Amino acid sequence: MSKAIEVEDLVKVYRNGTRAVDGISFSVDEKEIFGFLGPNGAGKSTTIKTLVGLIRATSGTLRLRGVDIHRHPGEIKRQTGYASQETAVDDRLTGWENITLQGHYYHLPSKEIAQRSEEVLKIFDIYERRKDLADSYSGGMLKRIDIALALIHRPAVLFLDEPTLGLDVQTRTMIWSYIDKLRKEYGMTIFITTHYMEEADALCDRVAIIDHGRIQALDRPGVLKQQIGGDIITVRFSASNDGAIPALIEAIQGLTNIKEVGPAQDGIYRIIAVRNGDQLIPKIVELGEQHAVATESIRLRRPSLDDVYLKFTGREMRDEEGSREKIGKNRRTQRRLNR
Amino acid sequence: MTIFSDIWYVAKRELIKFTRARVRFAVNLIQPLIWLGLMGNMMKGMTNAPGIGKMLGTGNYLAFMTPGIIVMTVLFAGAFGGISIVWDRRIGYLEKLMAAPIARGSIAFGKMLSTMLQVGTQVVVVMIIATILGVHIVTGLPGCVVILLIAMVFSLILSGFSLSVSATMKTMETLMALVNLVTLPLMFASSALFPLKVMPGWLAAVAKFNPVTYAVRPMRELTLYGWNWAKMAPSLGIVVGLAIVFLLIAQFTFQRATTE
Ligand SMILES: Nc1ncnc2c1ncn2[C@@H]1O[C@H](COP(=O)(O)OP(=O)(O)O)[C@@H](O)[C@H]1O
Ligand SMILES: [Mg+2]
Repeated sequence: MSKAIEVEDLVKVYRNGTRAVDGISFSVDEKEIFGFLGPNGAGKSTTIKTLVGLIRATSGTLRLRGVDIHRHPGEIKRQTGYASQETAVDDRLTGWENITLQGHYYHLPSKEIAQRSEEVLKIFDIYERRKDLADSYSGGMLKRIDIALALIHRPAVLFLDEPTLGLDVQTRTMIWSYIDKLRKEYGMTIFITTHYMEEADALCDRVAIIDHGRIQALDRPGVLKQQIGGDIITVRFSASNDGAIPALIEAIQGLTNIKEVGPAQDGIYRIIAVRNGDQLIPKIVELGEQHAVATESIRLRRPSLDDVYLKFTGREMRDEEGSREKIGKNRRTQRRLNR
Repeated sequence: MTIFSDIWYVAKRELIKFTRARVRFAVNLIQPLIWLGLMGNMMKGMTNAPGIGKMLGTGNYLAFMTPGIIVMTVLFAGAFGGISIVWDRRIGYLEKLMAAPIARGSIAFGKMLSTMLQVGTQVVVVMIIATILGVHIVTGLPGCVVILLIAMVFSLILSGFSLSVSATMKTMETLMALVNLVTLPLMFASSALFPLKVMPGWLAAVAKFNPVTYAVRPMRELTLYGWNWAKMAPSLGIVVGLAIVFLLIAQFTFQRATTE
């Protein structure tokens, strides 16, 4: 059986010379939820846009359910649904107008459009509000209807580009439950990009970590986390003597079961243990005392995708405040235009 | 042919919003009223002087002005016809359209069609107001229909221009500035408000290269004199020709601007 998505050596260089995607290969199985995890500018949107036929790949082979994307763009468009990171809902139309127009863009007969619109709006709990202008919808509702729009033609593969960008934590969790529902009810293949670690962890069967246009790691979230090691100990030291802490770090590296020791941020050190992190804690504190270093705080936790991300990109992930601002700005402009 | 339905649904979206924007519609109504009322009154004294009436070709300055106001309406509404593209690009709607299997060309054509229909309703309003104010269009209802058609075809020149510019623009402010820069001179350097005969020589010369002049000319012929096809043909040819040219330019620039 053919894969839902097959990508081989995809490269995309924009006209201005930006090498947004730099030779990536992966494949997605039917009915899989596959995540692309990476910071802003990693090349996530670019990859999605080549897959839905919005931009042309510079080189590489792209197949969707065995069909070549460049050779049969029309066929591809009918099989894919796409919700962009911008939440492209027309605020000055009602929910119902938005979705029925979408149905017409996909050349569905009017009767079918009415039926399906009702169906998808009900799935996303917007049916009751269908006659209101989208202008009056909350951010979460806008995102929900945006995803609903992408489903009107019953695509086999759904592409969601940062579906929870700029939403608050509760709304984000709610969107996840809807996405999960889609998989359960339709058995749909879903390709999702995100820069929220918890999102990839909660939703995806497999995750690719992408940075600088390259895939840095690809596997099931659990496997990726295992690669990190058994336990992570974060600890804050304080010492009056400058040389004391480096000496202590060296000593800690000499303990058994230690995989890696390094500074994380703000004077906090991250110690990765192969196993039995709990038994290491007293030893670390004791070593500290021997080196005249006080242990201010110490914490043990299981590795998260955050740690995986840090390992493969060398960066911490943070929520993007800038993007939220951009959404706000867009909505403000839109409101201004209504008058 | 799905392209026709594609064009229609792209246009329909704009038309729904057009009918919903009540304030804008009211402004569209009031604007020609002000122009006709104000200009009509201002010029009354002037047209009472014997020589002027002869120059205008009518004793009724309002009748002379009506085609001018119609063209002006088309000029402004048409020049903003592409602005929705800037917006659509901004909110990502353009991508949404392009991710759908609609014919690529239908986006630009759909926008132009919607502008054309919006302009059409505005022109009908102007003609009704003019009639109420006592303007008699000598060719009657058939003449009105032809005037409407000319206005709609003329709108393609402007919306085509507007779309071509908008396709490459990132902000609306730039487009608005550009539209103002272009429309006002087009308006005044034409025979829309004053006959070429009363213009300074250089301005009249400029007006001869202004498409607005050629849109006004047949409309004025139909309003003031009657069915003189032979006299109208060159102007009509120019308007239709330019409309086709701008239709193609818009299509071409739009395709280019949206291909990456
Ligand atoms: N249309 C474009 N033209 C030129 N460069 C672009 C364009 N779109 C994105 N880029 C650049 O390509 C890189 C990857 O962008 P993108 O795929 O949007 O990343 P992500 O979605 O992961 O944030 C960035 O450096 C971005 O600035
Ligand atoms: Mg992106």
